[in-house]
Amino acid sequence: MEREVILEMKNIVKRYGDFTAVDNVNFSMKKGEIVAVIGPSGSGKSTLLRCINGLNSITSGKMILKGTTGMVFQHFNLFPHMKCIDNITYAPIKVKKEPRNEAVKKAERLLKLVGLENKAQVYPAQISGGQKQRIAIARALAMDPDLMLFDEPTSALDPEITGEVLNVMKKLAENHTTMIVVTHEMGFAKEVADRVIFMDNGVIVEEGTPSEIFDTPKSPRLISFLGSMLRA
Amino acid sequence: MDRIGEFLPFMLEGSVMTVKVFVLTLVLSLPLGLPLALGSNSRFKPLSFLCKVYVWIFRGTPLMLQLWFFYFFFPFNLNITLNAFSTAILTYVLNYAAYFAEIYRGGINSIDRGQYEAAHALGLSKKQTMMDIILPQTMKATLPPVVNEAITLVKDTALVSSIAVVDLMKATNSAVNRMTSLTPFFYAAIIYLIMTFVLTLVAGRLEKYFSRYDAKEEW
Repeated sequence: MEREVILEMKNIVKRYGDFTAVDNVNFSMKKGEIVAVIGPSGSGKSTLLRCINGLNSITSGKMILKGTTGMVFQHFNLFPHMKCIDNITYAPIKVKKEPRNEAVKKAERLLKLVGLENKAQVYPAQISGGQKQRIAIARALAMDPDLMLFDEPTSALDPEITGEVLNVMKKLAENHTTMIVVTHEMGFAKEVADRVIFMDNGVIVEEGTPSEIFDTPKSPRLISFLGSMLRA
Repeated sequence: MDRIGEFLPFMLEGSVMTVKVFVLTLVLSLPLGLPLALGSNSRFKPLSFLCKVYVWIFRGTPLMLQLWFFYFFFPFNLNITLNAFSTAILTYVLNYAAYFAEIYRGGINSIDRGQYEAAHALGLSKKQTMMDIILPQTMKATLPPVVNEAITLVKDTALVSSIAVVDLMKATNSAVNRMTSLTPFFYAAIIYLIMTFVLTLVAGRLEKYFSRYDAKEEW
């Protein structure tokens, strides 16, 4: 059965003054699909992601988004004055008008999913970076988004704790959560993504299955990018 | 010293007036500073310009001048009789709101952009973002400068004595003249010190409350 298209981007351009961050990108996504976006810093991957949920306005082009988005940020952006559980329940209660007890029940379920049920009553400042990011994932999921956007979710973490965040994301992948992940974690992209997109200088240079991108890269730019990642 | 009974009750009455001016000014100017701060930060240029001009005028001229200006302006230019007490409250509220607005603005601008982005990504309205996410986080940082202003206000209340409001300063002055003794000045100093001390105590409690979400352990 053909899956429903959830996101369609046509000729998307994002300019900042003279600088073109995203240059005529065409991109579409189906429900349940997991897309990894890779590329060097400043290649426009994050900008593209932020155009999807309106954090960046689009200079020109057309976008059709069927449903809602949730976002996980590089620097977590948890609300420091709220306990972890309140971080998760705030938006469902205030924006979606969910009854408090239902929102709390859902938050407890999500805390369990990310393995932090014992951190409900603490403030974000009292937990580690990896735990913060897992709370941030739970917070985004609490709004029941149709599409999850991950903006370099492990880039601000120490290498030894990226695993705990990636494991949560793998769990989401197993549950067929539709997601776009901007990442430098090549292992994760290879293992989890259905499709990998390589961006450079604001354009999609190459796109394909993980094995096409990682095992048989065609463009010289992708080949040199993968080479530099291996050396790193 | 045994004449203390002659002037102290009068000075205490004056103290009540001082506390009245202080509390009313604080209660009215603290909230008034917020729309001024938000207005100054607004992307709607005319509004932001107006708020900045307001702050410039009220911070840039002596409080005493403002006090005397309003004291004469209402009866002579608008034909409105406003008693000295009301004039004092009006002037102090307008003046202090300007100071508080600048403190709030600093607090609001110190909040990381990521907080706004997270709020946007979760679908919060601008009002929800400001009231529930941004402003609560500014409380801790703005508390010390706000307390500083409040302590200044305790002392600034003494200026109302210049427009015939009988506050602690005025009462002290009359006592000094009547008794031909400097002792009332010392008592007044002690009373002002007690007031600012109480304020410092309250501030300490508030500071503790607002830092409840700080890290208990460093990561």
